[in-house]
Amino acid sequence: MKPHMKNLVAITAAGFMCGSAIAADLGDIDDPIKLAVNEWTGQHISTHVAGQMLQAAGYKVEYVTVGYMNMYQAMSDGDVHAALEIWSSNVSDDYAKQVDAGGVVELGDLGLDAKEGIAYPAHVAELCPGLPKWESLRDCAQVFATAETIPSGRLVDYPADWGTPGADRMTGFDLPFKAVPAGSEGALITELRASTENKSPLLIVFWQPHWAMSAYDVQFVDLPLGNEECFNDPAWGANPNATHDCDFAPSRIFKAGWSGLQDKWPAAYQILSNYQLGVADQQPMMGAVDVDGGSVEDVVSTWIAENESTWKPVVDAAIN
Amino acid sequence: MSIAGISAPIRRGEFSPGTTAAIATLIAGAICLALEPLLPWLVQWPAAWTLPATDWIGVSLTWFLEGVKPAARAFSEGMRYPMDWANLALNGTPWPMLIGIVTAIGWVVGGLPMAALGFFGLLFVLASGYWLESMNTLALVAVSVPLALILGGAIGILANEFPRVKSTLQVILDIMQTVPTFAYLTPILLLFGFGPVVGLIASAIYAAPPMARNLILGLERVEPEIKEAAIMSGGTRIQQLFQVEIPSAATQIMVGVNQSLMAALSMVIIAAVIGGFNDIGWEVLLTMRKAQFGQALLAGMVIVVFAILIDRISGKLATERKRHDSRVFLAIIAFSAIFAVALRTYLPDPSELTLLAPVAESVDQGLTDFTRANGAWLGAFKNNAVFFVLLPIRTGLDQAVLPFTWGFAWTAKMSALLFITGAVSGLILAWQGRLISGLSLVIATGMIETGIADLPWPFVLTGAAALGWVAGGRRLSLWCVGLLATILLSGLWERALLSLYLCGTAVIACAMAGGLIGLASFFSPLVWKIMRPICDMLQTIPLFVFLIPVLMVFQIGEFSAFLAICAYAIVPMIRYTRHGLVNTPEEMIEAAISSGANKWQILRDVRAPYAAPTILLGLNQTILYAFAMLVIAALIGTTGLGQSIYLALAQADVGMGISAGAAMAILAMIADRLVQGFAEERRRVLGL
Repeated sequence: MKPHMKNLVAITAAGFMCGSAIAADLGDIDDPIKLAVNEWTGQHISTHVAGQMLQAAGYKVEYVTVGYMNMYQAMSDGDVHAALEIWSSNVSDDYAKQVDAGGVVELGDLGLDAKEGIAYPAHVAELCPGLPKWESLRDCAQVFATAETIPSGRLVDYPADWGTPGADRMTGFDLPFKAVPAGSEGALITELRASTENKSPLLIVFWQPHWAMSAYDVQFVDLPLGNEECFNDPAWGANPNATHDCDFAPSRIFKAGWSGLQDKWPAAYQILSNYQLGVADQQPMMGAVDVDGGSVEDVVSTWIAENESTWKPVVDAAIN
Repeated sequence: MSIAGISAPIRRGEFSPGTTAAIATLIAGAICLALEPLLPWLVQWPAAWTLPATDWIGVSLTWFLEGVKPAARAFSEGMRYPMDWANLALNGTPWPMLIGIVTAIGWVVGGLPMAALGFFGLLFVLASGYWLESMNTLALVAVSVPLALILGGAIGILANEFPRVKSTLQVILDIMQTVPTFAYLTPILLLFGFGPVVGLIASAIYAAPPMARNLILGLERVEPEIKEAAIMSGGTRIQQLFQVEIPSAATQIMVGVNQSLMAALSMVIIAAVIGGFNDIGWEVLLTMRKAQFGQALLAGMVIVVFAILIDRISGKLATERKRHDSRVFLAIIAFSAIFAVALRTYLPDPSELTLLAPVAESVDQGLTDFTRANGAWLGAFKNNAVFFVLLPIRTGLDQAVLPFTWGFAWTAKMSALLFITGAVSGLILAWQGRLISGLSLVIATGMIETGIADLPWPFVLTGAAALGWVAGGRRLSLWCVGLLATILLSGLWERALLSLYLCGTAVIACAMAGGLIGLASFFSPLVWKIMRPICDMLQTIPLFVFLIPVLMVFQIGEFSAFLAICAYAIVPMIRYTRHGLVNTPEEMIEAAISSGANKWQILRDVRAPYAAPTILLGLNQTILYAFAMLVIAALIGTTGLGQSIYLALAQADVGMGISAGAAMAILAMIADRLVQGFAEERRRVLGL
């Protein structure tokens, strides 16, 4: 858990919210509800918590492994019924297409508070003493230079298909860095690991909640807080000639499901729509799985048993 | 350049085709070089000149896909049954039973060594804790390989029976192998719906071409006497084919079956990207995402174990007629059945086993220690390779030579000196009568100065046309230009040149290193014994696994991508070189021995010429493999066409995916046709 994490959305708030909801029919409880399991642990936890809540309501649940980027066609065909953790910063264009076509519906925010930014493993502060001030990067650029980027410094950016926020910031702040797209999340993590183990310099675009934040003691560079103007008006901010000279816009994490969900399983639709999971709950579970080696099912079952007061109201409101 | 020395001038005062082609290329290059500062559009194809082909493809394909969707969905419903049966059979059988069956089959086919291989191989899978995932994967392979063999076999026979469609079929095979699976995942997903069937179809498409190619080669090589005997004994064409020709081509066909199996297994990971199936590829993806090398390697090794088992058992089945005692077979099965029944309550759940977790952890730790200990010199090695080889080839000396890379800046004077040296050496060569070599040298000098990524497009087009003309006449020449022009018009030119540069360097490196290793494996059975499992591993282990250590040591960038491509593309070069050298007909060797030739002379004069077509098939496969790897290499952050394909996949952009995939296929096919054209020429010269 990062101490500077703020705005934790308490799951109890969700309980009050849906206290007013009208109870719904369970619908077809013999047919299993298929929940999408994507490629990362946090998502597994969000999904299994929802799955166990549905089971508590009397549903059958099936967990289906499905690629995060390619799941919307399957969802629209009714082969997958819900995905519980979709990041607005990295969502396939197909999502909007399928929503427009009427096959997929949004199920509201998950309540997970995310932060993205330019980051570095803690030991890098020794190599570039001015950190976390962004201005210090200008003088330290040489420290981060490699064969491919020389004479500029190297910034490891998101894979190209997630966008180029790192490159945008470097032009925005006019910093002498060349952004190198990572290609995959595995490549990002490998860079973090190699840098931490070899005490080598690394500047990277990263996000939380993520298990690697604590595993590699990742810190964010302080960037001036921005607003809409920063992304549209070059005059705004430290660099009068460019946009994007500010911190990342906060990304939204939401849920989506098959459009037939509400008709087939009305109560499940309500449960999934009202379901909330905060960073304060998700991050310790991620640690229990990725760092301590527990299985997702066991870790989530323990959480479910210990936190009945937080999730039970959501289920009860839907079925009673 | 490979034009050199192919044909000598025919008459005094008249240039050979090679010389004319080289002169044309040289003139085009010189003009471009001179005009480049004035006309920037020579290097950068203006965006205004590109056709919105990507959009057109997207729209028309989507329309087409919607049309055939019902049929495709019906097919995938139908395929669900064999998938479910295979799954049920593999997951329903208790694990001691399955281990017993495989061991018993191993015994019958290859005696004790094979039985031991089967037993310990599956024991490894069991201990890894991936038993359930492995069985799901095996079910997928069990259905996709027969599909691939039928498809490949049908194409092969069709090409053999109707020579007129052969060249068209060759193009189709190339397309199947070179258009990266990721490029057509979106359309397949749309067509066949979500689930393992998508992976099944993708892997069948990818695994069919090796079967077809080897079948064609095998049938071509059936001795004319055998064919005649079959005709004289009065069988129908079908009988001749199935009872005489195919059995006589069995060895080559088995190479095809083997390669198909390997290709299908290597596609397992692609199936996992879509998901829908809790398989071993998914595990690799999960561990890869966490950069856990040990765990990823463990999951990858499970696939390798299956590949080796299937390969060795199918190999023995094809080459040896001898069968071992069937009583032992029955005894092993009976024992495992009794074991499974008697201990059923005590048997551990295979998913709970983590016996090899400590091994995985120590491998991971080993990687950490290795990078710590060797990071410095490997980093220096990489810097040198990038500064002095990769960067100059890509951007040319004029941009690669900088004070902080080479220690000095590149000046116009140096350029002039380089050109003068090139021109003088060229003249000397021409003076000695090697006109083509001289001209090629001058062209190469210009290319080194400019860099592949910055080559002006008129020069590339002229060069390709010239090479095509020399290698295969006017038709090939027009074909090359036409295909390259489509890339140009589609606006993917810059990315295509980057991909060309990366693949080209990798293929050259693979051809040299792989040829040498293949030769060494031919001479020394020990080398082959070591290389064979390595080849199997490189070809079947999901290469994602190796991206972790490569990245740990060499970081994100082109050099890592280059290594990853080489690791995969070198294998066919090794295999085919050795296979070609070993399989020279005995009569030819005996004839050579009786005429007093020593070992080296036999190699040079008998084996090498006979093996040449096989080795060239290997080179062809190396080129295709290198292009196939481009997409995986994009996962470590290369730019170029591979990246476009990921972008398209993420945005579910059918048009862009297919265009980028097609551009990649075009480059691979042009390279391949040129190689084959020159090979044909060589064969003609050698009188084969």
